[in-house]
Amino acid sequence: MTAADSSTLLELRGIDFAFTSRPLFRQLDIRVRRGQVTAVMGPSGCGKSTLLSLIGGRLSPAAGSIHFDGDELRASHRQSLYRMRRKMGMLFQSSALLTDLSVFENVAFPLREHTRLPEEILAMVVSMKLQMVGLRGAASLMPSELSGGMARRVALARSIALDPLLVMYDEPFTGLDPISMGVVVKLIRELNDALGMTSVVVTHDVAEGCSIADYVYILGKGTMIGEGTVEELKSSDDPQVRQFMDGLPDGPVAYHYPAPPFAEQLLGEDR
Amino acid sequence: MNAVQQLGRWGIDATLALGAAGIFLMRMAEQLWIVARRPALLVQQLYSVGVLTVIIIVLAGLFVGMVLGLQGYNTLVDFGAESSLGLVVALFLTRELGPVLTALLFTGRAGSALTAEIGLMKTTEQLAALEMMAVNPMQRVIAPRFVAGAIAVPLLAAMFSVVGIFGGYLIGVELLGVDSGVFWSSMREGIDFREDIVNGFVKSVVFGLTVTWIALFQGYTCVPNAAGISRATTRTVVTGSLSILGLDYVLTALMFGA
Repeated sequence: MTAADSSTLLELRGIDFAFTSRPLFRQLDIRVRRGQVTAVMGPSGCGKSTLLSLIGGRLSPAAGSIHFDGDELRASHRQSLYRMRRKMGMLFQSSALLTDLSVFENVAFPLREHTRLPEEILAMVVSMKLQMVGLRGAASLMPSELSGGMARRVALARSIALDPLLVMYDEPFTGLDPISMGVVVKLIRELNDALGMTSVVVTHDVAEGCSIADYVYILGKGTMIGEGTVEELKSSDDPQVRQFMDGLPDGPVAYHYPAPPFAEQLLGEDR
Repeated sequence: MNAVQQLGRWGIDATLALGAAGIFLMRMAEQLWIVARRPALLVQQLYSVGVLTVIIIVLAGLFVGMVLGLQGYNTLVDFGAESSLGLVVALFLTRELGPVLTALLFTGRAGSALTAEIGLMKTTEQLAALEMMAVNPMQRVIAPRFVAGAIAVPLLAAMFSVVGIFGGYLIGVELLGVDSGVFWSSMREGIDFREDIVNGFVKSVVFGLTVTWIALFQGYTCVPNAAGISRATTRTVVTGSLSILGLDYVLTALMFGA
């Protein structure tokens, strides 16, 4: 690892990535500092979730490097990749709870797979994690009995079960009612600070993202169009940043999908 | 696209799919040791693909045996050979109908369920979540199901044959009046352990491996949405059934001479 100080937990440098023929990222750089909540925001389809897949080693970049906790992450090196993943937690947009296991067993799952804790200690750890997200009383429920917000909190408890260094959140605010959303916003910030973790939040919800982020990256077409603290971005003059932060329908990101002039198309039908 | 191009595209796609299925099989084979380390995972799957399939195997076996008893009797009685009914019923079941029909029923009942289950796990990001929890889905999810399928099909086929013979006995002996002693002794004299029982067993092992492999591969590689799962499930049943029938001919030719 070159020139990265110990305050950096995760660093992506010069990342190029393409889905078969469609290039997604060009020369992407991101640095996530320890103990901070870093938000990556951008419009739908700009590759935010793909970014998390790259960090988790589920996809490999065509060029560039990813360093996590001092080591280079290589998706092809299964064993070292799995060692790194034990230090990462991830909250999926769909919660991704294992549907055949109860809430308790879902949270216990990573512990059972990776540790040999005696049953009483394991039960204690699971209860602690569930208590943190306020769902200790729901331990015996099945995932099908949970509301969307509860499922996401269970998934959050599961993702922190192994006390990871880094937790990644994929659109954690999408599809939640205002109360559940408030709970998740509060949890992300509190867990990050109380457990000394580092968080990467990928979202298109500007208000929620800004309310908890220490540092923000705004992802546009393939590259970062802006980065900085929330205050810096809010006072930015860059038209792309402005359009996204203010939610303007038209601007550098055009309202219309590229098409030939409409009049030409209408008249063309007469010919 | 003209017909020649379409044929070429179809050929390339089929070859690619076969290659992908081969790689999938290899990656699965690497992880098979997990069932020795954690037998509980296997037992769980044996229950869901095996035990839950028993009831339809028993019912189907009974009906097929009864039909064999009736058809066999009606044909044999014209030649005064109804004393061979036990042998005919048992030969059909152990060599062909037991392994083949069991595998076809297994494809419809358990194979389609496996594809849908794995496909849904993929669609709801459960497989990705396992990956991110540093748990290899090949090891935790796929390998135990593969072994369970390979064990369940031969056992179910044996059950099918036994119940089928009982069905033949019910019709032939109890209803149509073939002598019970003759029914059983013709079977005991005519059935060869290696030639009939072992060959039938080998067939059902091959069918079990093939069908479970197809079902798991289709689920694992399905397009992760509702339409994708539905297509993958259909493909499991169609490809699985045709593979069973095709392989049955190949194995029969190898075992009993073309």
